[in-house]
Amino acid sequence: MIGANGAGKTTTLATISGLLPPQSGKITFQPDHDGDRIDLGATRAEQIVKHGISHCPEGRQVFAALTVAENLRIGAYLRNDLKEIERDIARIQDQFPILRDRAALPGDRLSGGEQMMLAIGRALMSRPKLLLLDEPSLGLAPQLVEQVFDILQGLREEGMTILLVEQNASMALDIADRAYVLEAGRIVLSGTGADLAGNADVQRAYLGAA
Amino acid sequence: MTSTYVLSQVANGLILGSMYALIAIGFSMIYGIVRLINFAHGDVFTIGAFTTLASIALLSLPFPIAFIVVVAVGAFVGMLIERIAFRPMRGAPQVTGFIASLALAIILESLAVMTISAQPRTFLVPDYLNALVRFGGLSVRVIDLVIVGLAIVLMIALVLFVRFTRVGVAMRATAENYDVARLMGININRMIMLAFAIGSALAAVSGFMWGSKYGQISPFMGLLPGLKAFVAAVIGGVGSIPGAMLGGYVLGMSEVLFVGLLPPEYSGFRNAFVFGTLIVVLLIMPNGLLGRSTETRA
Repeated sequence: MIGANGAGKTTTLATISGLLPPQSGKITFQPDHDGDRIDLGATRAEQIVKHGISHCPEGRQVFAALTVAENLRIGAYLRNDLKEIERDIARIQDQFPILRDRAALPGDRLSGGEQMMLAIGRALMSRPKLLLLDEPSLGLAPQLVEQVFDILQGLREEGMTILLVEQNASMALDIADRAYVLEAGRIVLSGTGADLAGNADVQRAYLGAA
Repeated sequence: MTSTYVLSQVANGLILGSMYALIAIGFSMIYGIVRLINFAHGDVFTIGAFTTLASIALLSLPFPIAFIVVVAVGAFVGMLIERIAFRPMRGAPQVTGFIASLALAIILESLAVMTISAQPRTFLVPDYLNALVRFGGLSVRVIDLVIVGLAIVLMIALVLFVRFTRVGVAMRATAENYDVARLMGININRMIMLAFAIGSALAAVSGFMWGSKYGQISPFMGLLPGLKAFVAAVIGGVGSIPGAMLGGYVLGMSEVLFVGLLPPEYSGFRNAFVFGTLIVVLLIMPNGLLGRSTETRA
């Protein structure tokens, strides 16, 4: 999902994850155990995680008062399968070795890029079916942005569904199966990533083409 | 001034500090999670003392059982305070929360005066608590040992709980950022309530100790200890649990030593000294002894 500042991208994610109530309309997610679709607008944020939606918020927001390891573990707060939790932590630490090396440090002692890895790792700890990612490239050096997009590409190949909100439109459209352009709270364009990347309006407004 | 005298003053400082520390922890925990000072916190201390009196004098419960009753009543009152004076004000300007808890404090005190009268009541604890124990030249009462021992055990338990348990970690996460905590699946209302319950139970235990030691309680007994424990929490760095503990002991110790070691004509300045200490500490360390310099809150 791309769009200018203030278009409502972060608000959209916060409404899906339950931090904000929808002002109108309905947000539903795939069937629960009873086969009914889940009405997210009527579900509290702390319950929505349980239904398989994990929201990695803008600005990373790792817990400064928690160690790196505690940050990861709290991502699995609602899970009870202790062995599996440890296995997931080990897997994430294999993928981001820095999170193992700095496991005992407070979350805010990591660099911006490392905090991003931690925030993504924390969001994955709930084993989501849908990962909401808000501006993961924000404030990162270009080289780190590449790295973050490599991670997202990897998750995509593993079959994870990701709703990515990005300012960096060209990179986002590059890896997106479906893309949406949000303007003043409305979807004004949608299509495959390649469609939108080739669209003249999108190029002019978001890709910096002359 | 003999060394025994100095030693006994140090012991008194430890005892007073233990009681201040237990109240101060609640101020700090509650501030840490709702960013508000609970002005009714000193009244929970008073309620703890009256609960002890009721349990022992009216219900003739054994002293250890009275302790458990005090913990339960303190925790319950804390949760009630949260529901009545804090939760409805969440998201309102800070000053609203201050006024709400101040109002509740005044209501509680008036209620106590109307129902049980402002008359101080004497307190009878079992004789074995008043027995003297000697360590060399130093003699203390059993109740003093109970106070210090119990305070230390409770504080260690609290630190371990907050540091190592899953719920303790969730509480710290909630204190830092409500929204992100909710995204993790944490029920923040439950965490906030738990912080009130634990903090208030400890204040009630302090009232239990105070009443048992000094043998006299009144509806306004919580005013000064509450205020001083608040000072202790600020000295330690409000929001920090270990800071509140340290602040409690620093304050209790310096208050006792001030009165005990200086000529008697200065003892009237006891409270002025306590608040003077606060100002000096904050001038040197504006965030308190163990407070964090950067407070981030989304």
